[in-house]
Amino acid sequence: MRERITYVQKLGDSLEPSAVTVDSGGISGPEVHAVREDRLTIALHELPPELQTLFTGAPDLYIRWVSTAAYEVVSPLLARLPPGFHLFFRPREGSNAVSEGLCSTLADIFGNISCSTPADSFTNLDSGRFQYFQELDSISHFIQYARSQLCRQANGPCSARIEALSTASSLDISYDTIQNVLRVTALWPYQRQQLRVASHPQLRTEVGILSTDKPKTLEAHEVGISGLLTVLGQDSKPSPTMFSFASRHRDAESSFSAQFLAPTGLHPTLQLRLTSNKPHPLSEDNDEDTAACHPYAYLTLPRAIFADKYQLSDPLFLASKNLTGLRYITQPVDLEAPEYAMTQWGSTVLVQLSPPNPTALSSRQSKGENEENRKEEWTAELPLHLRYLAPARGGYAVFSVPYPAVFWACEPTQEGVAAFPPNPFEKAHLGYDALFGEGTVFWHVEPRPPVEGVGSGSLLVNEVRVPVLDVEKARWVNAGTAAAVAAGFAWVLWKLVRVYLSYGYKGGVEEEGDRAREKKRQ
Amino acid sequence: MTKPAEPVGMPSPSATPTSTSLLGSFFSRPTPVYLSAAFLRLIFLLYGLWQDANSPVKYTDIDYLVFTDASRFVARGQSPYERETYRYTPILAWLLLPTAQTTGNRLIDAVLFSSGKVIFAAADLVAGWLLERVLTRSMNGASARKYAAIWLLNPMVATISTRGSSEGLLGVLVMALLSAVVARRITLAGLLLGFSVHFKIYPFIYAPAIVWWMDADRIKTTAPGSKPSEEPSLFKKLLAFVTPARLQLAITSLAAFLVLNLSMYTIYGFPFLQHTYLHHVTRIDHRHNFSPYNTQLYLASAATAAAAAAAAADSSQPPFSSAISLPPSPSLGIESIAFLPQLALSFVLIPLALAKRDLPSAMLAQTFAFVTFNKVCTSQYFLWYMVLLPLYLPRSSFLRDKRLGVAALALWIVAQGAWLQQGYELEFLGRSAFLPGLWLASLGFFLVNCWILGIVISDVGRGPKAVV
Repeated sequence: MRERITYVQKLGDSLEPSAVTVDSGGISGPEVHAVREDRLTIALHELPPELQTLFTGAPDLYIRWVSTAAYEVVSPLLARLPPGFHLFFRPREGSNAVSEGLCSTLADIFGNISCSTPADSFTNLDSGRFQYFQELDSISHFIQYARSQLCRQANGPCSARIEALSTASSLDISYDTIQNVLRVTALWPYQRQQLRVASHPQLRTEVGILSTDKPKTLEAHEVGISGLLTVLGQDSKPSPTMFSFASRHRDAESSFSAQFLAPTGLHPTLQLRLTSNKPHPLSEDNDEDTAACHPYAYLTLPRAIFADKYQLSDPLFLASKNLTGLRYITQPVDLEAPEYAMTQWGSTVLVQLSPPNPTALSSRQSKGENEENRKEEWTAELPLHLRYLAPARGGYAVFSVPYPAVFWACEPTQEGVAAFPPNPFEKAHLGYDALFGEGTVFWHVEPRPPVEGVGSGSLLVNEVRVPVLDVEKARWVNAGTAAAVAAGFAWVLWKLVRVYLSYGYKGGVEEEGDRAREKKRQ
Repeated sequence: MTKPAEPVGMPSPSATPTSTSLLGSFFSRPTPVYLSAAFLRLIFLLYGLWQDANSPVKYTDIDYLVFTDASRFVARGQSPYERETYRYTPILAWLLLPTAQTTGNRLIDAVLFSSGKVIFAAADLVAGWLLERVLTRSMNGASARKYAAIWLLNPMVATISTRGSSEGLLGVLVMALLSAVVARRITLAGLLLGFSVHFKIYPFIYAPAIVWWMDADRIKTTAPGSKPSEEPSLFKKLLAFVTPARLQLAITSLAAFLVLNLSMYTIYGFPFLQHTYLHHVTRIDHRHNFSPYNTQLYLASAATAAAAAAAAADSSQPPFSSAISLPPSPSLGIESIAFLPQLALSFVLIPLALAKRDLPSAMLAQTFAFVTFNKVCTSQYFLWYMVLLPLYLPRSSFLRDKRLGVAALALWIVAQGAWLQQGYELEFLGRSAFLPGLWLASLGFFLVNCWILGIVISDVGRGPKAVV
């Protein structure tokens, strides 16, 4: 078991080695404004038995949890996903037992996981992989689980460390099949925090106090990092370091918000408001590079709401919503079933957005106005559809839709571009990365909910109020429907009986006789 | 893909014969009538092309995109059922195969893509011509054309077919069936009946009406000497019921139906059965529509799902406990017997009481009853009876008593308008209008329809016998 703790500050913020104290108790320093990432690496044999079974039966398993609270991150710790609980999974062939038990194992660890079996609840990705997503507001159950597995005392420093996960923005659990180790990575948002890490006798702890850097030799496709590295219990002072690497995830240095247009009705439209129509901060320098860059939104939609791929295929319609087209959608998505008749978790949508008026933009760019003016806010609208939800008290049901992940993807223009070399902060298996070719760079746009007065929390979810049948008013539905149908039926039947009694059922060939009978009656 | 129900206008009674000289000369020859009908559809078709090309809101019906997608699959040698929500016979996709062709020339491609709509619009015209033919059996050509114009020159009918809805095809099939029957062309009638039922199931209700109508007096058998002089026994009556003509109709229609279904099953396998027929058995019909059962079905489907979920949760316990605590089985709701009043009226009672008196009007009453009492009802279904309306109107008390006619039309429109208003509040404003608004509106519309149906039935019973 070993641990890596990384603080990453923004460009220009850095610490002198003298500001940091290293001693037998650990490392400490001043308050810094930084992102903190903790990574615990656990060997297979150190895992509890249920997890050993799980990861040997399904080595290709990635669990990602993202908080609904809006948070800021710093390059290169950028990769974004919609808030909630994500799982990507490929069962080893012939290991049905793992699939069968997966959901209950997940529920043991994470608490309120509402899948039943992968066959019922998961969606298919390519090449035998499955995806699962659900809303999960907190990982308190996971914290309890981790504490019971890792800590000897209920109130010791170990418990306090794990308790701190309650303020984390994201949690990643992935199994490395080459080294047979499990990596658990937690990330805390960019904020002011005290620099302090205690050492543990049984644990090798490496601490990095880094900041993004832009050395002169840095190439456009690279991210630069500099700072101090310390191995606790081994180093007596931090050693300065500086390195650069090609990163798949970059910072677009712009933001977006997502909101449903009112009224939502049964066909809500999700409006994405982006602050910039430029892929990334470097884009004005090299237009050829940005030609292959397009904005995308990656959505994980709970089953109560879905996109209709057929509706999103007409070019005129798409253009009117500032969309280019669907790049991916879960197959199949039932277009008719009510929510309560479905077991699949929902669906994934990757849609390419279309920033308005690129020609006007480029001509303005050439005039070299200042950067603030060049960034132009624009919106794209994604039409969605609600399923019928189960009847409820009051006539409305509320559920929340997570913010999408929004990014500009710059795909390599030539064939055969090499994959990114591994880097210490690499993140893959995010659901959307596999939908692009090797060598694609993702420029992440930060989700930033609109500020709406005091008290409205900045959550990365939008609530939808769905009109449903009000069970409190449903008492008379059975009787009333039956009565109306009976009355209508009786009326029509009565008319038929009267026809039969007055004229019989005989047809036109006996017309003469009928006429005579009618005359008699008059 | 909920389809917002469109308002539907019944053809106004004032559009029917009130002879002024100008109108008289318009209807005196067929050419002006059919030319105007064709021109009306051409205008709508061209307008639709313009709107589709220039507006994100499309003129073309979503169903047409389903058909043409399915045709594209067929053109690539695949099954039309690869297209989700394609719930029709493969013949429809075959019929629209030209729409799957592309040449690269935009103009030609637009024409090819619209070819299905042209077929539907042409079907309208043929249905109108068949209407005229049936009507001329009891009136002169000009009057017949005036009544047929209720269908031919009806903007609603023209809109539906040029938007690409296939319901117009049903109109021509049903009219062809009726013309074949009244012309005593039994084999043709049988084939058309089998084909219609294969195409859209509901025309099966016409089978008992036609069989009841085609008695030995109407269709003379080859053995006229066998008429018994004394009162026949029940057995003899039953035997007499089985006339050669009836047998011929039964065999040909069944053969057509079976041959078509077996061939489709051979080609496309289970998906054909699943999507064309079984879907109608398993569908939940929880979405709001005009049917009086709608709210009840929504409630019941959610209760069934909840019970199933409870049962599933139970079965994850040891099997022992699930055997003891069975989930409360949903009570026998009226939705499970909803087909009884519907079929009693449209399949049995109306044919028995009315078919021998006036077959076309009886078929109108049957269709009206079938649609009114159906578990699902959308405005497209109204077209099913609209095609038969011109055959009944000449004898209807709605035309004889103008006040009654206007009242019926007004009630029909107001009741539907009330439902549409509630539906709009639900679908577009997101207001929980299910109860009581939408529910009461659908019951109100249902009762208005029943009232109209009652009058239609009385009219058919009372009125002069039709010549057919």
